Amino acid sequence: MSLYQWLLFFHVTGAFFLIGGIVIAGILNLAAIVKDRPPSQVATLYGLIRFAVPLIGVGLVLTLAIGLWLVHNVGYSYGQTWIVLAIVLWVVASALGNIDGKYQRRTGELAQSLAAEGDAPSTELRARLRNPRALVISYGSGLMAFAVLGLMIWKPGV
Amino acid sequence: MLALVRPDSWNLPLFLHVLGATLTFGATTTVAVLGFAGVQGDRERTAWLRSLTFWVSFGILVPAFILMRGTALWILDKEFPGGHNEPGWVNVGFAVSEPGALLVIVMVILAWFSRSPKSRVAVAVPWLAAILLAGLAVAWFAMSAKPGA
Repeated sequence: MSLYQWLLFFHVTGAFFLIGGIVIAGILNLAAIVKDRPPSQVATLYGLIRFAVPLIGVGLVLTLAIGLWLVHNVGYSYGQTWIVLAIVLWVVASALGNIDGKYQRRTGELAQSLAAEGDAPSTELRARLRNPRALVISYGSGLMAFAVLGLMIWKPGV
Repeated sequence: MLALVRPDSWNLPLFLHVLGATLTFGATTTVAVLGFAGVQGDRERTAWLRSLTFWVSFGILVPAFILMRGTALWILDKEFPGGHNEPGWVNVGFAVSEPGALLVIVMVILAWFSRSPKSRVAVAVPWLAAILLAGLAVAWFAMSAKPGA
């Protein structure tokens, strides 16, 4: 196999890890939100989200690093519209994902402490889970990753 | 280098195919994670985790798999009309997705029966998901690197 084929494989692997990780976190987050669950169940679901974190991290590194290498290998210009847009979306999505990650970690910790204190329903936990601003940041960063996938396929400006 | 000269009409089915594949990967991993978490613990914990495992496999994995497989046929029809001269990497996709579909059906049925905390088949669901993940990894290697092309 050529260098191009290996690079494409690792770039696509990065995309699978990144989007797959986002899907895992999204499903588990949604499961915690759509139904009024006791704090112990929310803590369990948020605890399971930790399996998505390394996938998202490795995916972010592979998509950008191997993606830039592919641009060089194929001979595209780094200034092409779709490449610039993809990098901007990658940076914004990563920044929003980082903000969201910190917020979700605190929500998980709150659920854990509530579970240890008797597992009674909490308005504070419910408010944190359904905070519209946090949901926009969370799902917005995920949608940006899907938008990058679209850019990779349509390549506007080529 | 095919991506450089791909006709515009292939973009939508390719996007939906890759989207379906990544959703399938994410949903299968979620089924595995929830399934393993639901194997042990008290009755209440295993009951809701197994119920969630079933709903994720039925409500998310099945539609994602159908999207991936359906759009694979759509783009195949555009790229290799009439099924002529299909390269080996295309056959790898079939070799994974056809038994994969059977695996998904078995997984959903077992996940349904596993909802009871007494069920003994619950342990099979996450292992089947893990097998499907291994198959998906083989397919995405063949689809992306296209060895032999």
